[in-house]
Amino acid sequence: MILAIAVLVALFLIAPILIIIPMSFSTAVSFQFPPPGYSLGYYRAYFASHDWLDPTVNSFIIATASMIVTMLLVVPASFGYVRYRFRGKALFNLLMMSPLIVPHVVAALAYYGYLSSIKLNGTLAGVVLAHGMLAVPVAFLVVCATLKGFDRNLERAAMSAGAGPLRTFFYVTLPVLRPGMMVGALFAFLASFNEAVVAIFISGRDAATLPKKMYESIRLESDPIIAVVSSLLISAVLFGVLLSVVLRRKPANVP
Amino acid sequence: MAGVVAAPAGQAGLAAAPARGLPADSTPWLLLAPATLALVILFLLPIGYVLLLSVTDPAVSIAHYRRIFSVPLYTRVLFNTFTTALTVTGVCLLLGYPVAYVMARRSDWVSTALLICVAVCFWTGFIVRTYAWLVILGNKGPVVAVYQAFGFGAPPRLLFTTFSSILGMVHILLPYMVLALYSVMKKIDPNLLRASASLGARPAASFRAVYLPLTLPGVVNGSILVFTICLGFFITPILLGTPKDMMISQLINQQIEELLAWGFASAVAVVLLVATSIVLAVYNRFAGLDRLWG
Repeated sequence: MILAIAVLVALFLIAPILIIIPMSFSTAVSFQFPPPGYSLGYYRAYFASHDWLDPTVNSFIIATASMIVTMLLVVPASFGYVRYRFRGKALFNLLMMSPLIVPHVVAALAYYGYLSSIKLNGTLAGVVLAHGMLAVPVAFLVVCATLKGFDRNLERAAMSAGAGPLRTFFYVTLPVLRPGMMVGALFAFLASFNEAVVAIFISGRDAATLPKKMYESIRLESDPIIAVVSSLLISAVLFGVLLSVVLRRKPANVP
Repeated sequence: MAGVVAAPAGQAGLAAAPARGLPADSTPWLLLAPATLALVILFLLPIGYVLLLSVTDPAVSIAHYRRIFSVPLYTRVLFNTFTTALTVTGVCLLLGYPVAYVMARRSDWVSTALLICVAVCFWTGFIVRTYAWLVILGNKGPVVAVYQAFGFGAPPRLLFTTFSSILGMVHILLPYMVLALYSVMKKIDPNLLRASASLGARPAASFRAVYLPLTLPGVVNGSILVFTICLGFFITPILLGTPKDMMISQLINQQIEELLAWGFASAVAVVLLVATSIVLAVYNRFAGLDRLWG
């Protein structure tokens, strides 16, 4: 009984997503399921359309750059936070978590005004800075958790074997922590890549990201190319999740 | 972050190479400074600007706030946001609990398959999933097709209703609920249930007396998470809902997009921020915020 309910709910979660994939091979001019016929026409259209390719490229550039910004801030901060006692630690933690506390639409409004006043509205740099901040909490949680699980005796062993602090850091600490940091970086990348609300407000025309383009496409026209983009994104997620299951790691968890 | 105390001697150089040659005390400062500065300048400052605008644009007054809480149109938006978030949280809990339960109690392929469904859904962006519902509930979608195939005549209007908006939000937030419940349920020792069974409790009784209370932290975590995200929900209600069910975030968007009313939009944003903060602060008092996203 409970099993049946669970399976039904899981189907409710996955079926609407999978339905998109046949849609992308459709010949219909508007949203229609089941499709009246199949072709690769919209895939061709996607790969020939600057209206869609430019936002795709923007999304990759922004997600990569904001991931770098996030990690440059988060990695040192996590070391400081986990390994030292200092006054105001709770306050610092609250600061690091603040982008998660503030609803995205509030942050979007705030960035819209703020970036306009420093002439960064509608630029790649503006979106990168905003997304870089928004991904801080997720990355901070992951990197801190990794750091807390790190056995510091490894460092002591390296030091007692004659390695200096630098050598110890680069040959012992970093390699052990690398998987955790990679996960943190991946989460930061995805946080930016999937982020829509702030991007809708601030990315303008030149720096439009894929979610913004999709949002506008749904709102203003019923462009079937969106099914292609969605299918590509869903395939990437499917691949990633299945890979993580096959690798027997713990699959994607709450950030 | 005033005054760094007791940096363990000898570890300073270890923790961060860049700090070498400086007194041990300054290391944590240097480590924390970039993130602190960046968040203050690039996050808190913009938010502070919104706070400021809400009482200074176009003139210094609290008139915007008075309007929000006195004009029936706006109080209805507040009320509607609150009840919608409550409904979505309730539905997510009802649907999510059995899934998390099965995922946690079994360790075979069923559990893995469920986890894959939840994870794929979790990582697929909001917009993609909202789009999926547009197709499914649309005029040429499968629901209408099935309806007509059975000869029921003209189907009811599914899209752009309260129903479709709530359905979309539940679909988007359900994975958060399931994962929050699952992470708590996974840690419950199965021997506890065996123990209560061996003492004579029937399955229903031992579920009620043993399992359910142990999962309460997950129930609270998931509910708070879903509720706070839902309070600020923007994309799904706009694309799937009806203007008469307007939520706070839509009001903010409308004020900016159509009216360029910065002051009023900011005041609405502040109300949303305060409402979210109150929920999280109450949670923080009893459980500690860190656990929410752990």
